[in-house]
Amino acid sequence: MSTPARRRAVIAGVATSDYPHLPDFSEHAVHAQAAERALADAGLNWADVDGLATTGFFPMYATGVAEYLGLHPTYYDETNAGGASFEVLVEHAADAIEAGVAEVVLVTYGSVQLSQMGRRLGTGGGGGGGAMAPGPAIYDALWGNTLVGNYALAARRHMHEYGTTAEQLASVAVTMRRHAADNPMAQYRDPITVDDVLSSRLVADPLHKLDCCVISDGGAACVVTSAERAADLASTPVYVLGGAHATSHHLNLSAAADLTVSPAAQSGPLAFERAGITADDVDVAQLYDSFTITVVLTVEDLGFCAKGEGGPFVEEGGLAVGGKLPTNTDGGGLSACHPGMRGMFLIVEAVRQLRGHAGANQVPDASIAVAHGTGGMLSTGATLVLGREAP
Amino acid sequence: MGDERFFPDDMPMPSANAETAGWWEACVDHRLVVQRCLACGTTRHPPGPVCPACRSASAEWAELPGTGTVYTYTVVRQAFMPALAGTVPYVVAAIEPDGGGGVRLVSNVVGCDPEDVTIGMPVEVVWEDIAPELALPRFRPCTGGGSAR
Repeated sequence: MSTPARRRAVIAGVATSDYPHLPDFSEHAVHAQAAERALADAGLNWADVDGLATTGFFPMYATGVAEYLGLHPTYYDETNAGGASFEVLVEHAADAIEAGVAEVVLVTYGSVQLSQMGRRLGTGGGGGGGAMAPGPAIYDALWGNTLVGNYALAARRHMHEYGTTAEQLASVAVTMRRHAADNPMAQYRDPITVDDVLSSRLVADPLHKLDCCVISDGGAACVVTSAERAADLASTPVYVLGGAHATSHHLNLSAAADLTVSPAAQSGPLAFERAGITADDVDVAQLYDSFTITVVLTVEDLGFCAKGEGGPFVEEGGLAVGGKLPTNTDGGGLSACHPGMRGMFLIVEAVRQLRGHAGANQVPDASIAVAHGTGGMLSTGATLVLGREAP
Repeated sequence: MGDERFFPDDMPMPSANAETAGWWEACVDHRLVVQRCLACGTTRHPPGPVCPACRSASAEWAELPGTGTVYTYTVVRQAFMPALAGTVPYVVAAIEPDGGGGVRLVSNVVGCDPEDVTIGMPVEVVWEDIAPELALPRFRPCTGGGSAR
């Protein structure tokens, strides 16, 4: 007796928009460019799209993108988990495909954060004066905490508990820059050293300017469909093997139970279990690198090394192509592109690795890739496991 | 106490609701409090509608002695809020208040060189009166005299 084959979700097309500087683009124009390219990469047309997943910084965001792109989707999702959003959106899209409630879901992201900076005052907190609404943000903003400050609080505690050093954190930025050298679109490509990171100005101790992601314009998109549908397309599909997401607290890091543990500790094991893999099976990783400390916490929490050993792991070249866990092979948010919510870029690069299209930083024979997004103040985590072969 | 000013006047002002007003009112009286569940005793901060451990809505404002320790800290050297551009460098710290049952408050360590702050450092509250209806707790290295209430 045989059971019918389970309908499997695949990513059939990926693309980024131009980046990192798009002064003549609106946010929606970035979406349009990335989406057009991802559909072309898949060998599909706008008319094939019946699902849309995207998110941004205001409510009914997907509805707005749908209107601007001329789409009337019968499946849409705008789950906002900050930097982890796009791993969640692709996990949801895969579920929708496998449930048979959508056929072709376009997942798209766009931002012109860099070009908009000149048009508003500052980022990461109120403009001074005025009343803040009741909510968690006021319990640190009034004391002058910043977005970078939150990650610095976590970094300092990790250093205290595990002996992690500023040099080890800096080595993450050095490796990302080395990878960015091979990405012609990357925002920064000139090599840097650990000393360069440590001598860049401190933004919030122990994080220096070069421990922080860049600020960019840009977008990216992917097309999620069924393996059956993809079989008729010219493009090489990549299988969505499993995904999971988790949250530990909202925006006030003091409400996190342990500042040295990110939600990856929950989402990672669950995603690996759903995908039927272990950390040892992963050939290449794309890990959200908002700050160097984010990567150290993530490699520990996903189980690529023990808790507290992330510092030595990254310092010994663990993230480099040729290392234990080649990571952010496009140069990451630290050097290539970080338009605000980078999660979609992680998925694009993971798919390129599995297709063998990653250029100079191609990991030989990569068959399992992980994309992991981290959002908020280490508040959200979402892990997506992708594979070259059908499960 | 309360005469000393650490942050400029043009900082954002908080607004309160029914769940949070008690915390801000205690601050005006220079009392450091945290919300404590009357059903299971779990403390929480920031204030919220129900206990995150047992979901009871019944809570009290537990008054703390005003001392504590630095759980972690950072020296902010680039202000993102324009109002604080002239205040950097300043120390933002997560403080574990004594008697707080493990809750942490994001606050500042003032009254010392930022370079002298360490994790585990004993601190005590110092109140900054900002407006008739607003005072904020900040912390300074312990002087040995207990609460600076």
